[in-house]
Amino acid sequence: MMQEKTQTALVVGGGLAGMEATIRIARAGYQVVLVEKQADLGGVTGQLYSSFPRWEDPQRLLQNKLEQIERCDRIHIHTSTEVRAVVQVDGAFDVILKRQPGSVERQLRADAAVLATGFELFDASIYGEYGYGIYPNVIDSLEFEARLRQWGEGRTDEPLPQSVAFIKCVGSRDRSKGYPYCSKICCMYTAKQAGLVKDLLPQAQAYVFYMDYRAAGKDYEEFTRAVIEDRHVRYVRGRPSKVLPENGRLIVRAEDTLMGVPIEVEADLIVLAAAVVPSQGTRDMAAMFGVPTDQYGFMEGDPFKPGQSGERVFFAGACGFAVETQGAQYQGAAAAAGVLALFAQD
Amino acid sequence: MSDDIYRPLRLNRTTASLQEEINAACRTDVGLCLECGKCTGGCSNAHIFDYTPRKIVQLVKLGAETTLLNMDSLWTCVSCQLCLDRCPSGINIPRIMDYLREKAVRQGLPARRPNVELFHRLMLDSIRKTGRVAEAPLMTRFNWASRQYFNSVDLAPRMLLKGKLKPFTVKVRKIDEVRRLYARSVAAKEDRS
Repeated sequence: MMQEKTQTALVVGGGLAGMEATIRIARAGYQVVLVEKQADLGGVTGQLYSSFPRWEDPQRLLQNKLEQIERCDRIHIHTSTEVRAVVQVDGAFDVILKRQPGSVERQLRADAAVLATGFELFDASIYGEYGYGIYPNVIDSLEFEARLRQWGEGRTDEPLPQSVAFIKCVGSRDRSKGYPYCSKICCMYTAKQAGLVKDLLPQAQAYVFYMDYRAAGKDYEEFTRAVIEDRHVRYVRGRPSKVLPENGRLIVRAEDTLMGVPIEVEADLIVLAAAVVPSQGTRDMAAMFGVPTDQYGFMEGDPFKPGQSGERVFFAGACGFAVETQGAQYQGAAAAAGVLALFAQD
Repeated sequence: MSDDIYRPLRLNRTTASLQEEINAACRTDVGLCLECGKCTGGCSNAHIFDYTPRKIVQLVKLGAETTLLNMDSLWTCVSCQLCLDRCPSGINIPRIMDYLREKAVRQGLPARRPNVELFHRLMLDSIRKTGRVAEAPLMTRFNWASRQYFNSVDLAPRMLLKGKLKPFTVKVRKIDEVRRLYARSVAAKEDRS
């Protein structure tokens, strides 16, 4: 006879990785408490208009996950809720949740935790030269996803841009700003966004400033080349150094490092691919659950157990490092496998 | 290299038009360029080029037409086709060079290497007259016209002995066909311009 499954897993973060872990743990017959700070599940994926490398609608992916979650009565969702405190006692966690509005507190016990607290974008206003926070037409990549949605759904009152310039490595690969690492996902989502400009606004020019494009993944190179060759997005090799207003437009100044000459691009909208940095939630949860972090604040696993810290804490998604939607699901599934192996031995 | 030296090169809708023109005329696509430089690595004359093959493709993308039509490489390229042979994207750089040379000539721009242009013309003339590149008369005419009377003359005896230089030129039998080709290509050029 099957043993009764009484254990409960706590999943912190209701983005794609957290949802995937939740679904898989619950499907195996255990209870799952899913805590999400925002009012809705979906995380960053919920803000995306399209995906690479197949131009799929991320909202359909989320809808699929949400339906699986809603169908399962072993999943207990707490949105607009944060983890306030955690005490580890005898192989379990005593957790205090706080729900807004009203600061309603609630205590529960969990036998394992999956942290999937995600990332945020580096604050690009630290760069004075790009004019983020000064010119309203300089926005970051996540703000641009919302713009794409407006264009895609045909609901926008603002004049449409004739030219959109994308600047990659804003924060990333910049020692002077403290982020020498490559944020990994920007090359691909920038290619996607620039391609979508050509799809949604066929009359507009799209320029991408790059040092190199990193397309290491299945179908990634083909995707990027198709954006350049078929959609005619103009890739300009060089890291821009100035954004200047001129006759109501913005001028991006860089070096064309292929020729070694200064070059300018006229743009009505500038999109900054800002570095991926750990979210505040990631920092808080790492401290609360005692998960070691690297020098930037991303969670780090045990050397021989990726995605795991100690016996009962797992993590998945961008709280470990920048990851694509597909990778976030894989990591959520891997964390779930870790939890299930643990529960089976308890 | 900027066409207007008082301002940085600026990319906009107009700069893309040269790329479109060349893609259409040369039946190739410079947008496929991976910027790898294999063309330049293979180029037999890159060491004397002012703009190497990769940079020439890049200049097309920048719309720097004036630079392209006035560059030295236009006249030091020997059309050996190595750039095309090596290109992973199959971009037809030799055809782009031909197109640019023709355009420069049509616009009456002075060749940066007048002797190269002279040699081209004399060689075409030799083919028109005899149907062949007749080395001995061609070199004689070239040396005479370029006032380099003893240019490579020391090579002549050995080449004669090896049968590489023929003292007399025999016309091809169907010279009429060659002449007709010439007439047609000249007519085609006039149509285009």
